[in-house]
Amino acid sequence: MITFSNVSLIYPHSTKTILEDLTCEIAEGEMVLVMGQTGSGKSSLLRLINGLVPHHTGGILAGDITVDGISTREVKPGSLAHLVGIVGQNPINSFVTDIVEEEIAFGMEALNFAPDVMRKRVEEVLDLLSLNSVRNRAISSLSGGEQQRVAIASALVMHPKVLVLDEPTSALDPIAAEEVLSVLHRLVHDLSVTVIIAEHRLERVIQFVDRIIYIESDGETSIGSAEEILEKSTLVPPIIRLARALNLSEFGTSVREVRRLTTEVRNIDTQTVAQPRPSTSPVIEVDSLQIQYGSDVALHKISTVIGQGEIVALMGRNGAGKSSLLEAIVGVLKPNAGSVRVYGGDPAELAGSKRRETIGYVPQEPADLLYGQSVQGECTQADTQAGLAPGTTLAFLNRLVPAISENVHPHDLSEGQRLALVLSIVLSGNPRLLILDEPTRGLDYQAKALFTLALKEYARTLNNPVLLATHDVELVAELADRVIFLAEGEIVADGSTLDVLLSSPAFAPQVAKIMSPQPWLTVDHAVAALAANS
Amino acid sequence: MTKPLHPLTMWVWSLILAIGIVALDNTWVALATVGVAALVVYLRRDGSPWNATFWWSLRVGVFIITIRALMGVLIGVPIPGTELFRIPILELPSWMPGIRIGGAVTLERLSSSVHEGVIIATMIALFGAASALTSPHKLLRVLPVFIYEIGITLVIATSVFPQLAQSVKRIRRAQQMRGIEKVSLRSIALPLLEETLTRSLQLAQSMDSRGYGESRKRSRYRPAPWLARDFWFVIGALAAATVMVAS
Repeated sequence: MITFSNVSLIYPHSTKTILEDLTCEIAEGEMVLVMGQTGSGKSSLLRLINGLVPHHTGGILAGDITVDGISTREVKPGSLAHLVGIVGQNPINSFVTDIVEEEIAFGMEALNFAPDVMRKRVEEVLDLLSLNSVRNRAISSLSGGEQQRVAIASALVMHPKVLVLDEPTSALDPIAAEEVLSVLHRLVHDLSVTVIIAEHRLERVIQFVDRIIYIESDGETSIGSAEEILEKSTLVPPIIRLARALNLSEFGTSVREVRRLTTEVRNIDTQTVAQPRPSTSPVIEVDSLQIQYGSDVALHKISTVIGQGEIVALMGRNGAGKSSLLEAIVGVLKPNAGSVRVYGGDPAELAGSKRRETIGYVPQEPADLLYGQSVQGECTQADTQAGLAPGTTLAFLNRLVPAISENVHPHDLSEGQRLALVLSIVLSGNPRLLILDEPTRGLDYQAKALFTLALKEYARTLNNPVLLATHDVELVAELADRVIFLAEGEIVADGSTLDVLLSSPAFAPQVAKIMSPQPWLTVDHAVAALAANS
Repeated sequence: MTKPLHPLTMWVWSLILAIGIVALDNTWVALATVGVAALVVYLRRDGSPWNATFWWSLRVGVFIITIRALMGVLIGVPIPGTELFRIPILELPSWMPGIRIGGAVTLERLSSSVHEGVIIATMIALFGAASALTSPHKLLRVLPVFIYEIGITLVIATSVFPQLAQSVKRIRRAQQMRGIEKVSLRSIALPLLEETLTRSLQLAQSMDSRGYGESRKRSRYRPAPWLARDFWFVIGALAAATVMVAS
C-alpha cells in the first residue's frame, strides 16, 4: 500500500538529518507504529505519507514515497485526500467548521461528492464511531475524546485506504484512549484500513500493532515486529522492562501473553504490610470547596488535606474538574463557597515574590511562561527574579537535562527540554509547594524518568508537597504516594496510589495487570518484592 | 427553531443597508437601522458562539464614536456656533498652518464628529449582525472555489481570531500564577504569536490534506436553497436603501 524507497529528509537551515535512507513497504490492512524520542521526526515521517512534507514544510527529500502507486512527490496533498486520511496531534486546531456533521462532510463537499452518497456515508461513520448523539453539537463543546473521534470520523468518511494518526491519545484519559484505540483496531480488522500511528505511550498501543518503525535520533531507522524492535530499544514500555528484569525467555506485548509467561513468578506468597500513612502537618487544606461557571458546577463541595512531602496525583476524566481544583488552590479562581488555605493563608492574596516562594506552578502549556530570546536569557531572568547567584538556574537545568544548548531559542527545544526549562525556572523561586497541570504530554520514557526523579528529589529532600493533574497511569504508579480521583466535580476516591489504581481495571498500570493479584504497580516494586521473597 | 436563512442573505442585506446609510448620511436613520439589525439578530439567533459577534461589534462601535468625538473636539476645523466650553489652544510651529489643537468647542463641532462616528459604527454593527447570524465558515461554503486562497485565509482568520482571546486569557493566567504581577505586552505577545502561527499552519495543512480546492465544483451536504424568505429580506433592504439614496 505504502512504499518508502531510500527516503532521506533534511529541513532547510538545519544540519540534523530527520530521516536517513528509509526503505520499507507497508501492506494493506497493516497497523504500524512509529516510535522514537521526542523531536526525532515521527511527525515528519507521518506527513510524508500524504505529501504535507515537503509540499507544505519545505525540506530536501531524496528517494520516493508511493501510496497505492501514486508518488507523493508529484501530487499535492489534496489529490491524495480520497486515499490518505490524516489526524493531527491537536484535532481542535484542524477543524474547519463549527458543527460535527458539517465537519465530517467537509472533505466530501470539497471533492464534489453527490449529496445522497454524502448522507449515507455520514450516517455510516456516525454509527461506526458512536457519534450519533452529538451530531448537531458545536465541536467546541465536545470532550477531548469526542473531538478526537470527530477528527477520525472526518478522515474515515472519505473511505481512505490509509489512516495516519499523530499521537491520537496523548491528550486523552485512559478510558477515552482505550475507546479510540479499539476503534482503530476494528478498522484494521474489519475494513482492512492501513493504519500508521505515532505514539509515546507505547503501553497503550503496543498490543495492537503489527510492526514498528523506530526512528533513532540520527535519522537511522529500523523496521520490524514489535518484539524485534523492542528487544534492542531503549524506549520500552513497562511490559518489556518487566520481561527484561525477570529475565523471561520471550517478550510479550500483550498483558495476556506475559501473564502466561509469568504464572510461576506470580505464584508466591507475599505479605503486604499495610503501611500507615505518616501523619504530616497539613499544607493545603480544601474545605467544602464549590466552584461554578454560570450554572455548571465544576467542583461540588470538595474537602481534602494535603500534607508535607506528599506527592499527590489528581486523576479523572477530561472535564472532571481537575484544572478548576488546581486553579483554586493556586488562588486564581475564586471559590463560590468553601475555602482553600495554603500554609494557613489564602492563596488568592499571594503576590509577586511571595507567590513565587510559596507556590510553584507549571501550566498545561509550559511555553506560556517562556518569552525570552534564549535559554540563557530565561535562566538569567529567573535568577534575578529569585535573587539567586547568576547561573544557579542554568546549573539546575543542566543537571536535569545535560547537553542543553544555552543559546537556543526556547521555541526550538524539544517538548521534554522545554518542560525541564520551565520546571527549573519555577523551582528557582524555591517554592514550598509545587503544582503541575498535565506535565508529561509528549514526553518519551527517558524524559519522563528524569522528570520523575527531579520531582521525587524535590518532595523528599525539601519535604514539600507536589500536586499534579495527569492522565498518565504509569507516571502515577512510578511517582505518586497518593491519588485523588475526581468525577463530575466530586472526589470519588482518595487513598494510597496502590489502593486507588488497583481498584479500577481501567486505571491499573501494565505491571499491575500482569501481576494481579499481586499488589505491584511498577517493575521496581515487582523486582523488590520478588527479591525479598527469595 | 426557525430554519436558517441562506448564507448570503444576511450579508447582502447588510451590504445594501450599509450603502443606503452612507448615501443618506443621517444619524437618526443610522441609529434606527442598528435597532432593526439588533431586532433581527435577536429574533433569528441560533445559540451558536458566533451570535456574540453582534454584541462585540456594538462595543467596538461605541469605542469608535468616543474616539471620533474626542479627536473632533481636540483637533480639527473650528465650526462657528453655540460655544459649549473652551480648551486652551496649543501653539503649533508656523509650518503647520491650518491645523489647530484645542480652542472653542461648539455644539456643531461636537455633533458633526459624533455623527461621523455613528455612521462608521453603524457599518460595523451591520456586518457584525451579518456574521452573528451567518458565520464566515458557512459563507465560505457558498463561495465559488476559484477564490480558493481567499477561502483558506478567511477560514484561518475566522477560526484563529476567536481563539486569540482565550489564549490571551490562558497565558495571562499562567503568568499570574507564576507571580508575574505586571504582565507585559511582550510576555503575552510572544507565546501568543507562536501559538497563533502554529495553529494557522496546522489549519491550512488540514484543509489542504482534506482536498479543499481540489475539485472545481463543490457539492453541498445540506443544500441551502434560496427561498422566498431570503428574497423578501433582500427586497426589503433594497426598498429601504432606495428611499435613503433618493432622499
